[in-house]
Amino acid sequence: MQTIETPMRRFNPDEEVDYAIVGVGAGGGVLLQRLARAGFHVVGFDAGPFWDTERDWVSDEKGSHQLYWNDERITTGKHPLALGENNSGKGVGGGTVHWASFTPRFHPSDFRVYSQDGVGADWPISYWDLKPYYELIERELPVAGPAYYPWGDPHGYPYGPHPMGGVGDALIRGCTKLGIGVCAGGPVGILSASRADRPHCIYRGFCIQGCKVGAKASTLVTHVPDALAKGAEIRDRSMVSRVNLGNNRRVNGVSYFDRDGREHFQKAKAVVVAGYAIETPRLLLNSGLANSSGTVGRYLMVQAGNVVLGRFDQPVRMYKAPPAHALTEEFYETDPKRGFARGFAIQTVGPLPIAFAKQMMAAKGAWGWGMRRIMMDYNHWAAFGLLGEILPSADNRVEIATDQKDHWGIPVAKVTFNLYDNDQKLIAFGKRKTIDVMWAAGAEEVVQESRYAHLVGAARMGRNPETSVVDSFGRTHDVANLFVCDGSVMPTQGSANPGLTIMAIAARTADYLIEQGDAIFSSDRRDMRPPKFRRDLSPPDTWGHGMPAL
Amino acid sequence: MSRPHPGYYPGFRTLEQRRYWDAHTREVILDRVNNVPPIRFFSEDEARLMEAVCRHILPQDDRDKENWIPILPWIDSRMHENSGDGYRYEEMPPDREAYRLGLQAIEQIAQHLHGRGFLEIGEKAQDELLATLHDGKPPAAHDIWARMPIERFWRLLVQDCVSAYYSHPTAWDEIGFGGPAYPRAYMRLERGDPEPWEVEERRYEWSAPEDSVSDRYTPIGGQSEHHGGPQGGTH
Repeated sequence: MQTIETPMRRFNPDEEVDYAIVGVGAGGGVLLQRLARAGFHVVGFDAGPFWDTERDWVSDEKGSHQLYWNDERITTGKHPLALGENNSGKGVGGGTVHWASFTPRFHPSDFRVYSQDGVGADWPISYWDLKPYYELIERELPVAGPAYYPWGDPHGYPYGPHPMGGVGDALIRGCTKLGIGVCAGGPVGILSASRADRPHCIYRGFCIQGCKVGAKASTLVTHVPDALAKGAEIRDRSMVSRVNLGNNRRVNGVSYFDRDGREHFQKAKAVVVAGYAIETPRLLLNSGLANSSGTVGRYLMVQAGNVVLGRFDQPVRMYKAPPAHALTEEFYETDPKRGFARGFAIQTVGPLPIAFAKQMMAAKGAWGWGMRRIMMDYNHWAAFGLLGEILPSADNRVEIATDQKDHWGIPVAKVTFNLYDNDQKLIAFGKRKTIDVMWAAGAEEVVQESRYAHLVGAARMGRNPETSVVDSFGRTHDVANLFVCDGSVMPTQGSANPGLTIMAIAARTADYLIEQGDAIFSSDRRDMRPPKFRRDLSPPDTWGHGMPAL
Repeated sequence: MSRPHPGYYPGFRTLEQRRYWDAHTREVILDRVNNVPPIRFFSEDEARLMEAVCRHILPQDDRDKENWIPILPWIDSRMHENSGDGYRYEEMPPDREAYRLGLQAIEQIAQHLHGRGFLEIGEKAQDELLATLHDGKPPAAHDIWARMPIERFWRLLVQDCVSAYYSHPTAWDEIGFGGPAYPRAYMRLERGDPEPWEVEERRYEWSAPEDSVSDRYTPIGGQSEHHGGPQGGTH
């Protein structure tokens, strides 16, 4: 068991720190670690707790409710999104505490969706700009997976693939029977062998309840310890309510409520908002900042996450093994024959009993004796997740609910979501294909539940300040010392789980900020040259490990 | 006819494995088993009604009464603490109000159909009444359903019931779920094989009471496709 020593540097709120980072999740955690390592004075704020993984976390579904963002938000639209445990973490490590840790890269095509397909948007950076950072983060987590991963830009993984659980077996069987390529044992940010003080995976299946083992990567265990060792401070249970605009159209710090509800102001030379795709736009909107384009909160995206469940004659026991352990990206790219743009992946998922019961309620309408009956067969079911690209739309958005405030008195977020024509065609096709694979695997009954996974967009990056919020380094177009560093900067989302890409973007932003140095704090000039790629900012003992040859 | 422990895994008791669980998990689960909270949110009348409703959402008549899994106390506890799930559908009232409205509606439907309260109409009629909620075709209380979409209320109710029931070790024994596995781990990952301490499945002819309405599968609201239902984290 890894223990994190929490004695840390404490900055005085009157002391002007270099960077205040709001949110210590996938993006904020990586950025905090690198800025600290480069010698900056940096404070990370998180609305949730600094977890003691041994004392706070449990091997239990219901007992893990505290990991999620449970404060109220309003959800609406034709296809209103479930939030909370579905996609929103709270606490140091953020979403990486409860992610299943699938860590595929985006494909090169993901960065040129508008050019290639005439829909969505292009990114202001290419896959090749991010590639070195993907390689870096894959070693820092590290990622376990096959030696040859064939999709997108083919590559291999530093840690060996995991053994298969019953669900992975079914996915491989079904895909193989249909002639669909499939990868087993990763890519997942879960240790298949121990590294330093982090033990290997024990296959207990509670990944999304927080990995008590320490085998699953979260920035809490991969980056935060190094950040603290290098002099960063994390102020946990501290809810930032406002980023403050000072003189000369520059921000000068953040207002926040501490764990006792007292309000403070932390001075900072620059501010990075890293609160993910709902809290980031909420904070920017509540602060009245960075929205001259009117795009803050817009182009919010989720991925289609239909769960397809199949009952098998023989037991599966899908609670064993990590939920994330096999997938296919064979349908990832646009195929004109399908009649819609972009594509999808099919992945293993492993719902535990409560999640499975809710899925059976939704998929079969189970209740009463019918619920009891189907649940007695829990061990016979396997579950696949569709992960489908939904295109950005200006009307899918985060706004401020003017009539409702949270317990701090901060206006809450209102989230509107609708599916559009391409999305619906893609989901119908992807669902059908996932169901076909489940039948081919040998299931005797197949049902499905419509749902959505992940949250990105809502403060997108772009070259044009009139249609985007930040530039390609995460700097807001409007305010020279205000940055965004999380999934909300994504203009499109591919059909890969976003965590790895968020971290890669954060590592690139870090290189930029470090290279720019004091110019960030004093100048409004924007140097748009890409930064030099640095390998010396990784946490200790994570760079230079062997990689499979292609 | 009831058994001490229904389910296809005879003799399997997750709690007997508790010495292999980590201390905090053990503490949380034993507390759940041993310290069932008192009713604090629902009034006495509401609690009696809710108790009867829960008995239909997750019936346990096949289990000896002393082993029944408490459901209502956990819903009451969540309401008492006003603890949420992180979002509210715009057209839904807050959960506390939703339950109060839902119970009023159930009472009104019972009066409309039978001229008596829900508690007085008998098991079968209770089952049938709840099925009208499931089907989205309530015969009365339309003013309440105008303020609260019936499908959302039904999902809230069923979700809260399953969350209580399937968080209990007795339910894990019933379905053959291994339960907590840290720090000991699982070793047999493939082919659904049991761990040495788990039990092989032994099926028997399990059946719901003959007059049960709920031992069948029809879509909620009677439609075939739904969006925006419960979306527990799986990715």
